[in-house]
Amino acid sequence: MIDRRPAWLTVSMYAAALLLALLAVGPCVWLLAVALSSTEVPLSRLPGPDELTLDNFRGVWSEAGMGKALLNSVIVTVAQALLNVLLAALAAYPLARMRFRGRSLIFVLILSTMMIPEQVIVVPLFRTIVGLGLYDTLIAVVLPFSVTAFGIFLCRQAFLAIPLSLEEAARIDGAGSLRIWWHVMLPLARPALATLAVFSVIGAWSALLWPLIVLQEQDKFTLPVAVNQLLSVFATNVRYAYAGSVLAVIPVLAFYLLAQRWLIRGLMSGAVKG
Amino acid sequence: MSAPSRWKQTLTPYLFLAPAAAVLGMFMLWAMVQVVFYSFTRYTAFRGPDPVGLENYRRLLADSRFWWCLFNSFLYLLVTPAVILLSLQAALLVHAGLRWARGLRVWLFLPVVTPAIVAAIAWRLLLNEDAGLLNSALGLLGAGPVYWLSDRPWTLISAMLVTLWRGFGYYMMIFLAGLAAVPRELEEAATIDGAGRIDILRHVTLPALRPLIVLVAVISSISALKVFDELYVTVRGAPVSHQTVVPLIYDTAFERGDYGYASAIGVTLFVVVLAFSLLQLRLAERDA
Repeated sequence: MIDRRPAWLTVSMYAAALLLALLAVGPCVWLLAVALSSTEVPLSRLPGPDELTLDNFRGVWSEAGMGKALLNSVIVTVAQALLNVLLAALAAYPLARMRFRGRSLIFVLILSTMMIPEQVIVVPLFRTIVGLGLYDTLIAVVLPFSVTAFGIFLCRQAFLAIPLSLEEAARIDGAGSLRIWWHVMLPLARPALATLAVFSVIGAWSALLWPLIVLQEQDKFTLPVAVNQLLSVFATNVRYAYAGSVLAVIPVLAFYLLAQRWLIRGLMSGAVKG
Repeated sequence: MSAPSRWKQTLTPYLFLAPAAAVLGMFMLWAMVQVVFYSFTRYTAFRGPDPVGLENYRRLLADSRFWWCLFNSFLYLLVTPAVILLSLQAALLVHAGLRWARGLRVWLFLPVVTPAIVAAIAWRLLLNEDAGLLNSALGLLGAGPVYWLSDRPWTLISAMLVTLWRGFGYYMMIFLAGLAAVPRELEEAATIDGAGRIDILRHVTLPALRPLIVLVAVISSISALKVFDELYVTVRGAPVSHQTVVPLIYDTAFERGDYGYASAIGVTLFVVVLAFSLLQLRLAERDA
C-alpha cells in the first residue's frame, strides 16, 4: 500500500477536480443559459428566473428550418455509422482469415489511406462528387467517408482474436463464408463493432468542412452547416445561433451518455484514432 | 472440387473487399493522385485543368497570405504541449480515484463529443469582446479588454483554447489506459525504498507513460495542422492572415474557385503533415 494522502493534498485534488469539471461543462452551460435568455440580458451574466424564455428556440425552429436539419443530421449520421461498420467488417474478414493473392499489398494500401488527410483532398473529392451528379445530396455527405482504414483495422484486430476452431466447426456444418461472417464473426466481434459505430456517430454528427462544401440548399443542411449559416452576417437574430447550437449538441450528448461504456472501452483498449 | 466452386472460392475474398476498396480507392487513393495532378494545372470553376508546370508553386512562394497561414499553422502546434499537460493532469487526477469524484471521467469527456462548431460558438460567447465573461472579469481586475476575436495573436489563441478544450478529454482517456497498465508493484517497491510521491511520479509513472506521451504528441500535432472548424467559426470576420492552412484551402477552392492553386496548398500541407509525423516517430524511436 502506498501511504495515505495528506489532507492538504486531498483538498487541492478536489479543488483541481472541481475546476476541471467546471472548465469542461461551463461553456456549454453558459451557452444554454444565453440561448434561454431574452435579448435584453447582457452576455456577461446569467439570466434571472424571470428573464428565461423559449423564444429563441421557437424562432430558430420555425424560421431557420432546424427541424429539417435535425432530420438530415440523423439520416447522415445513422447511414455513415451503419456503412462504416458494415463495409469495414466485410473488408476485414478476408484480411484476417483468408489467403489470397495481393493480400498484403491490399492491406498496406488500405492502411496508407490513414496518412491522407481529408482536408488535403477536398478539391478532387468535390470534383468527383460533382461528376457523379451527387452535388447537394445527403449521399455526397456520406459516400466518401462510408468506410475508413481505421475501421477496417479495428475489425481485423477483433476478428484475429476469435478462435479459429469456431469457424472450422461452422465450415464442417456446411456454412459458406458469408454465413460464417454473419453468424460467427460478427456476433463475436460485437464490442469492436459497437466501438466503431459510436466513434462514427460522433464523428459524423460533428462534421462541418465536407458538408459545408457539398451542400447548397438549406433543406439539405445538416445541423453544423445550419448553425454555421445562423452565424452569418445575414442572420436576423444571433441568439438563434445559440439556440441552434444547443439543439445540435443535445442529441449527441444524450447518445454519449447512453453509449459511453462502448466509447470508453474502445479508448481504453487502445483503439486510438488520429 | 468442381471448377465453378473453385472459382467461387478464389473470388470470395475479393468480393468481401470490393465495397471498401471501391470507396477507399476512389475517394482516398485516386483523390490523392488527382490532387497532385491538379496542383500542376491551372484549374478554376470555369475551365481546366490545363497543365502549367510549377506555376502554382511559384505563386505560393510569393503569396504572403499563404506564408501567414503556414506560419499560423506552425504556431498552432503550441496547442500540443498545452493539451499534453492538461490531459496528463486530468488523467492523474481521475486515476487517483477521489471518493466523491467518481463521475469525473465522464464529465471531462463531454467536450470531446461536443461538435466543434458548437464549442466554438460557446467560446465566442465567453470571449465576446464587449460583454463576454472573460473581458468582464478582466475589467473587474482593472485589466483588458483583450480583443480575443479580432486582434493578432489573440484570434489564434482563442481558437487554440477551443481546440484545447475539445481535445484534452480524449487524450486523458489514452493516458488513463496507460496508467492502468503501470504495474502497481513498481510504485509499491519505490515507496518501500522511501520514495516520495513526486519521486514516484517522476521516476516511475511518467517514464512508463513515455510512449503514450509521444503518441499523443503525434496525434494532437497532426490534428492541429489540420484544424478548420474552430478557426472558421471563432475568428470569423478576421482577415485571412489570421487563419491557418486548411481555412486557406477552403477559401481558395470554394470561395474563389481556384482549384489548381488550392490543390498546391493541399499538397504542401500533406508534405508538412507527413514530414511531421515521420520526424516525431523518428524521435520516439531514438528515445526508446
